[in-house]
Amino acid sequence: MNILYIDTSSSYLYTGIVSNNKLLCSIKDNLGQDLSRDAMPKIASMFEKTKLQPNEIDKIIVVNGPGSFTGIRVGLTIAKVYAWSLKIPITTITSLEAMKDSCDLNGIVIPIIDARRNYSYAAIYDGDKCLLKPQYIKNEELTSILDTLDSYVIVTNDDISLKGKKCEYNPNILTIVKKYVEKENINPHLINPEYLKLTEAEENKISDTGN
Amino acid sequence: MKDVYILGIESSCDETSVSIVKNGKEDIATVVSSQIDIHKSYGGVVPEIASREHVKNITFVMEECIRKAKMKIDDIDAIAITYGPGLIGSLLIGLEAAKTISFIYNKPLIPIHHIAGHIYANSLEKEMKFPLLALVVSGGHTELVVMKDHFKFEKLGGTLDDAIGECYDKVARVLDLEYPGGPKLDALAHEGNAIYSLPIPLQDQSYNFSFSGLKSAVINLNHKYSQRNESLNKKDLAASFQKVAIASIISKTKKALIDYNIKNLIIAGGVAANRGLREEIEKLSNELTLNITIPSIKYCTDNATMIAAAGYYAYKLGRNADLYLNSKSNDTLN
Repeated sequence: MNILYIDTSSSYLYTGIVSNNKLLCSIKDNLGQDLSRDAMPKIASMFEKTKLQPNEIDKIIVVNGPGSFTGIRVGLTIAKVYAWSLKIPITTITSLEAMKDSCDLNGIVIPIIDARRNYSYAAIYDGDKCLLKPQYIKNEELTSILDTLDSYVIVTNDDISLKGKKCEYNPNILTIVKKYVEKENINPHLINPEYLKLTEAEENKISDTGN
Repeated sequence: MKDVYILGIESSCDETSVSIVKNGKEDIATVVSSQIDIHKSYGGVVPEIASREHVKNITFVMEECIRKAKMKIDDIDAIAITYGPGLIGSLLIGLEAAKTISFIYNKPLIPIHHIAGHIYANSLEKEMKFPLLALVVSGGHTELVVMKDHFKFEKLGGTLDDAIGECYDKVARVLDLEYPGGPKLDALAHEGNAIYSLPIPLQDQSYNFSFSGLKSAVINLNHKYSQRNESLNKKDLAASFQKVAIASIISKTKKALIDYNIKNLIIAGGVAANRGLREEIEKLSNELTLNITIPSIKYCTDNATMIAAAGYYAYKLGRNADLYLNSKSNDTLN
């Protein structure tokens, strides 16, 4: 069974092909502004390397956010068009789950992505139990939640000012894929980003009109 | 000769569209999903919302097109994609979809400039004869382009500020017409008389246009009347604006046709649907005995049919791209 993993929710492309519980090939590249240009050819290069054909993929696991809006859409569009056109099973996980599962940590784990303007995308996990579901949260509010916790580890790659022990995020693609390979499939048409945040235009409209 | 089927994808603004065109002229199937109702309440297209809608729609639109065409993706010879210009976040959805299909099915990827697409909408009407002058009029463009052969574009001039369609939408807002106001303004103009005097923009020897001065003149006129607590007759103002805007387009087009001794004129872009413009072009055609092509209304606004039509000629010329193709918010016509 060959599984294709795609995460473009930051400026990094994290992608890999897992075959029968072995990581055949993976790429972890900071593509920055070139993510939209390079994501597809880099993914294609894994097929050259492994000699696999595109139709030999049995399942796709794609990260659907939160993170960079454009980034999420790049990987998600590739994944959903791929799954739709070849009728391949597909499922999604959040970037925060990928962060949590990549660190071999016990106790409370808090993946955090800087959302700028004193906001973060964050979730709080105790093992597999989700104590705070992924959300767009004011840093002030997040701090006051952290203050109530005895011990925890923050997983992040961003330069954030929140207090606590920090662990750098380096995705463990094999661990992530093994964990979510059995996760329920989703109709590719219905695969959509989890931005966790409205667009500015929508926010302004709500604050102007109340609806 | 073997028939060539091109799959076109267009997502440069607020329409997600996919089409299959045979031999550059026969529309086998086209699906357009418009977001107009979503953007209406914001008074214009909101780029981030447009991008979000494209992601939601893309596979639905692709599936519907393939189903309507009664074809399989494997039956397609190449994929034509609008790489730019346009809203970058919107363009990227179509681009990634096109690249994915190109990779999976090992089909050539053909990048198409959005304006080339508008011009090639005319190839769906009748065979393009060269040399030709293309008048491109849309929400983002007002250009005069000479073509001596397929994909040989020579831009003579363009707008120095607002595009004609943009100007229409802005003036429509002054007249309290709901977005997109351009077509409503055109309809209103036909009910009024051009009694207000407005300046004809940029009467010079260039092939350029300028519409921001005209737009300001309308805003100022409206302001003047409202300060005096008098009301402008909207129908008459619409007629006055339309007369001057179109006169400017016609005069530069006429100059280009005469200077370059060209008899084939094609009209392209969303504003090609404008009735006032069509009437004046008709008069110009009679005056200069021109061979005129104007796409049907459904091919004037953004659609993937025109991208697939252009894609056919680009494919024949071997204008392929690899998977490193990127979207560009701005790019000169090529």
